[in-house]
Amino acid sequence: MGPERYLMGLFKDEDQVVAAVNELKASTYTFHRVNSPFPSHKIMDALNLKKSMVGWFTLAGGIIGLVGGFCLAIFTAVQWNMIVSGKPIVAIIPFVIVGFEATILCAVFGNILGLVTQTRLPNYKLMQHYDPRCSGEHFGILASCETGQEDGLNEFFRQKGGEVRVFD
Amino acid sequence: MSQLTYASIDQTILNTLTPPKKYYWVIVFLLFAGALIGAACWTYQIFVGIGVGGQNNPVGWGTYLINFVFWVGIAHSGTLISAILHLFRAGWRNPIARAAETMTVFAVCIAGLFPFIHLGRVWQVYYMIPLPNQRLLWPNFLSPLMFDVIAISTYLTVSSLFWYTGLLPDLAAVRDRSAGTRYKIFKILSLGWTGAHEQWRHYSRGYLFFAALATPLVISVHSVVSWDFALAITPGWHTTIFAPYFVAGAIHSGLAMVLTLMIPLRKLFKYEQIITGEVLENVAKTIVFTGLIVGFAYATEYFIAWYSHNAVEMEQFRWRALGDYRWGFYFMVGCNTLIPLLFLFKKVRTTIATLFIISLIVNFGMWWERFVIIVGGVAHGFAPHAWGLYAPTYIEYGIMLGAFCLFFFLFVLFAKHLPSVSMTEMKEVVEKGAESHGA
Repeated sequence: MGPERYLMGLFKDEDQVVAAVNELKASTYTFHRVNSPFPSHKIMDALNLKKSMVGWFTLAGGIIGLVGGFCLAIFTAVQWNMIVSGKPIVAIIPFVIVGFEATILCAVFGNILGLVTQTRLPNYKLMQHYDPRCSGEHFGILASCETGQEDGLNEFFRQKGGEVRVFD
Repeated sequence: MSQLTYASIDQTILNTLTPPKKYYWVIVFLLFAGALIGAACWTYQIFVGIGVGGQNNPVGWGTYLINFVFWVGIAHSGTLISAILHLFRAGWRNPIARAAETMTVFAVCIAGLFPFIHLGRVWQVYYMIPLPNQRLLWPNFLSPLMFDVIAISTYLTVSSLFWYTGLLPDLAAVRDRSAGTRYKIFKILSLGWTGAHEQWRHYSRGYLFFAALATPLVISVHSVVSWDFALAITPGWHTTIFAPYFVAGAIHSGLAMVLTLMIPLRKLFKYEQIITGEVLENVAKTIVFTGLIVGFAYATEYFIAWYSHNAVEMEQFRWRALGDYRWGFYFMVGCNTLIPLLFLFKKVRTTIATLFIISLIVNFGMWWERFVIIVGGVAHGFAPHAWGLYAPTYIEYGIMLGAFCLFFFLFVLFAKHLPSVSMTEMKEVVEKGAESHGA
């Protein structure tokens, strides 16, 4: 068995992509990914993807921010124990603002952390099997096969109405 | 938008990134010179002292705080358009979302400078940062000014991250059509984005959460700014309607600035197919709505002053309409509430010239609204013997000029070096249009 060969089928129509992906998955070729210029719902649905985990990072960040914001405000207030404007030392209502802003800030940090870890960015290796037309008007389906089978895969993409790029 | 294709979107937007002509650099230079005038005035103030400004008893809050509130207000519509309208799935926001978000980021940066300028001894700003220090001093989180520090810094951080996240797929699109040094720069900036389905899966979810978090944040930020005033007992400031009043006013001024920026951008970059007349018309309709809200707030303030039978409040509002700064009040009511009502006429809101002129008028009026509230409150307080007037000095005018020039300088640089319309979101509009057409 020789090394794997990577081919990308490039399509302009989402419906063609959906049809090609469905057949590719049922074939002996290995389906890797679809590159698209925008998040296509048709393609996403056809791939039957699981829900992203990013939300859990966002939630964790939000909880940390909420607790952290209140703790910071309370900690700083009790350092001096000085009554200001007749309010209690630990004045919950004004501290809600600190807690709220910290919740949003840390939830956003969590969201970013989730995005970075889940999408694995920055990652310049992904550009190895990538065609620049995929950020323009084309949808690219990346698939691989064993050496010697590339003609079949090439023909498969062409039959589905796409252009083909063969990677070295 | 029916004539748009993925290719024509790319071509139109990427054409704006071609090397600029000489007149572009002349404009950049003039704006930079204006920003330098502002920087020179601030430097002069730092060396000589805050007394070079016109603020004095009883008016301790002058143009620095007026401009602070004005620029925070301008910043708000960016998040309204990018986050709130995104959640409502309003497709017309897509062509203007990028520029509005960018406007937000720059406006918050400019706004954030003014408390530093107003501080006088700017080097002591570290007292506001909750970090352990050798004096064992901590910020007082009961103070609305500290609320502001937290809210504005959170808003700047979140809006910048939101902006960059939204820009990521477009940075990759520019990278894919570049060569040489430009390719290398955009390769780094785009973080290796390829639009793989796994990336989109997480990105779409993350972007939705961004929008969901930015929405309450934007409302909280201008509410917090309003509490800088409302939590004081100063007549004209101490009122519970300030938070919604300020939020509506902020969106009002921000939408007007969107028109002010978008109309020349549309003409210069030949964006007529992308930023259609319908998009501008929808902004105008929203301005009518926000203008009516601020008009209602102006009327409510008068009603409450009369209904309370509080002599100090009644005097404050009598003086507002008939006193020394009455012109500011007339500008505020006329420019923010009455003139935008002209948008009720289809002819007015579909004519580019009138849209542009009214957007400038609203910007002017919103600046005066902040003048009337901020200066008017402290100038005419409780004790008649402590009443006084205020006029800005040349140093303040210089700093104000610098702020406006810096904002436009940054925006002009952005417009020619980064995609000023989101290619990704425009392609989504085309896709949805095709779907609905097919259905």
